[in-house]
Amino acid sequence: MKAKRRVVTSGTRAPTKRRPTVRKIKPAIRPLVRRPDPITQAGRNGGSGPGGGGPAGTSSAVRPAPTIPAEPLTAVDLSVDLGRGLRLQNPILVASGTFGYGVEYGAVVEVQRLGAICCKGTTLRPRIGNPTPRVTETPGGMLNSIGLQNPGVDAVIAKYAATWSGWRVPVIVNVAGESIADFTEVARRLDGVPGIAGIELNISCPNVGKGGIQFAIDAEAAGAVTAAVRRSTELPLLVKLSPNVADVRPIARAIADAGADALTAINTLSGIAVAAGRARPLLGNVYGGLSGPAIKPVALRVVYEVSQVVDIPVVAIGGVTELADVLDYLAVGAVAVQVGTAIFADPTLPVRLVDELAAECRRLGVARYDALIGTALPKHAAPPSAKGVEYRP
Amino acid sequence: MTTRARDPSTTARAPAPGPPAPTPPAMRLAGAELIDSREILPGQWLQEYTAPNLVAGARAGQFVHVRTGDYSGLVLRRPFSFNTIDPVAGTLTIHFRTIGRGTEWFTRLRPGDQVDMLGPLGRPFEVDPRTQHILLIAGGLGIAGVRALADEAIRAGRQVTLLFGGAGARDVYPSSLLPDEVEYVVATDDGSVGHHGFVTDLVPEYEAWADQAFACGPLPMLRALAAQASTRRHRLGVASLGRKRGAGRPIPAGSAQARRKAFLQVSMEQNMGCAVGACLGCVVMATSGTPQRVCREGPVFASDELDWEKGW
Repeated sequence: MKAKRRVVTSGTRAPTKRRPTVRKIKPAIRPLVRRPDPITQAGRNGGSGPGGGGPAGTSSAVRPAPTIPAEPLTAVDLSVDLGRGLRLQNPILVASGTFGYGVEYGAVVEVQRLGAICCKGTTLRPRIGNPTPRVTETPGGMLNSIGLQNPGVDAVIAKYAATWSGWRVPVIVNVAGESIADFTEVARRLDGVPGIAGIELNISCPNVGKGGIQFAIDAEAAGAVTAAVRRSTELPLLVKLSPNVADVRPIARAIADAGADALTAINTLSGIAVAAGRARPLLGNVYGGLSGPAIKPVALRVVYEVSQVVDIPVVAIGGVTELADVLDYLAVGAVAVQVGTAIFADPTLPVRLVDELAAECRRLGVARYDALIGTALPKHAAPPSAKGVEYRP
Repeated sequence: MTTRARDPSTTARAPAPGPPAPTPPAMRLAGAELIDSREILPGQWLQEYTAPNLVAGARAGQFVHVRTGDYSGLVLRRPFSFNTIDPVAGTLTIHFRTIGRGTEWFTRLRPGDQVDMLGPLGRPFEVDPRTQHILLIAGGLGIAGVRALADEAIRAGRQVTLLFGGAGARDVYPSSLLPDEVEYVVATDDGSVGHHGFVTDLVPEYEAWADQAFACGPLPMLRALAAQASTRRHRLGVASLGRKRGAGRPIPAGSAQARRKAFLQVSMEQNMGCAVGACLGCVVMATSGTPQRVCREGPVFASDELDWEKGW
């Protein structure tokens, strides 16, 4: 049977003879129709007007009438303090490894409107990373095993610090290492460099001197590395928790007690994929880290558990793709949220989330977004997931 | 027909300071409307999109990164080489094989549907201005990587020979989709059409004729071509056309200038995440020992830039 529906777009084009059956199936997923964002749109138009030239949104007089009632963005306070003077203009960060050094997306993203940028993982010495393939898509997420390819901390400082120091958006350098000495040396070199606003420790690295067990899965090692870095730098210090542990709470407490200013939760979940042909695992490194919407429930659980046992701010990360995800993380106690994998699909998402969060606060009639934090936390300490999630004695 | 051998906006830009910092063309995020979609070979599709913003300044060898649906299943964008570029009409075509859920999603699009494209990305093929004879070598779907260069070269008045290798007759790219000026030579693994054997067998016949060669296809094919090119580089290609001004001055490997001097340029493929150079997912190893990003330093490389012996 020939297809009944045919959309003729050009009179000159000869119709194709063969209509494959797959074309008759209604798409399960509709293609994305991008709607112009009223707030950023207004800002851009305002900037290009006769009185413009300043940053977006400075001149409300030249704005064309927006489609939704736009109140000034200053009406809602989105700023957040992550400790030790690391004050962000809003709680939407971009996650390490997904935004390079902040320069790669160029003019496509309004970088200066982000809360902060966590740069690519940085080590003491240059690393060439893992064999390829390094990334693959999985249901609702992706696996990556880049292997911390980076030019080393000195090259990062030389190449990017000057650029960053001219930015309004703070840049948090993500730091990885294979020994406590590595971590402290990198921290020392970053300390006092203009343009570097903070450090985020990736402790999901093997502690080579101690049998290669990750720092992140041992409360004592995690506390020790945090304390050592704390002593070697005055920079605000975030520590990224791994979800690949039986009970995350003692680790989070050890890190907080060791002097971290904030926690980031969570790093990727470890996983593998199998190559076509089924002869070997797909990734060059066999194991990869799972990220994306698929891990959001796990990340929510970790944030929920951790925010009940520590007093320092928790920055949530894991599968944020829309405002609802941000609100969920805030509800379970996070004060800020990092966007990661979704940037690959939608580079403008983080900036849009800033506007949407402000709009949501206005809709709810709250002057500060703080009102949204911790609303889903229990009044009394909830039993931890380590005690089992289904069976309750 | 306009003559657009080289886009002025990309050559006019001042080089960035420091070592081999490639100057990428300004990428844009733009909506693209599907205007035609057809299955040109079993499992292989050709789709035409209108995206005037994106097509402006795009060159052969570059690619677009296209968003698939929402996050309910597919998370990553899919990279596609510009198969053809029509800057006047503001249209581009992509050519792909259905190999997974992402590419199948594309085949379900209907004319009028909008997709979100990021591009133009990567660095284009670099043709030396003195080159008259261009040899294109495509293995299977690799045709999608070099197809646009045939148009570009013919517009610039060059002669083009396309060597195409496929598994069998059902995989051979239809000659009706190529410009008439292209000399088209086919090799098939099973001998059902053209030369019985690999496309690399055909190369020696054309190597002396060609001033520059451009290839895209499976890794073993590219590796064999690189090996052939490396042994003959000193007496063939643009190197034989005479000394350039400034000869003897070191040219940084990976620069457009160095690539223009290379006899063979290859378009590489790798699993991709961001496609802008942020995630470092899509690297290939260079002879210098530094991984090169396919999305940023590539997808086009001079064959002597890459380490073909190393596993990755």
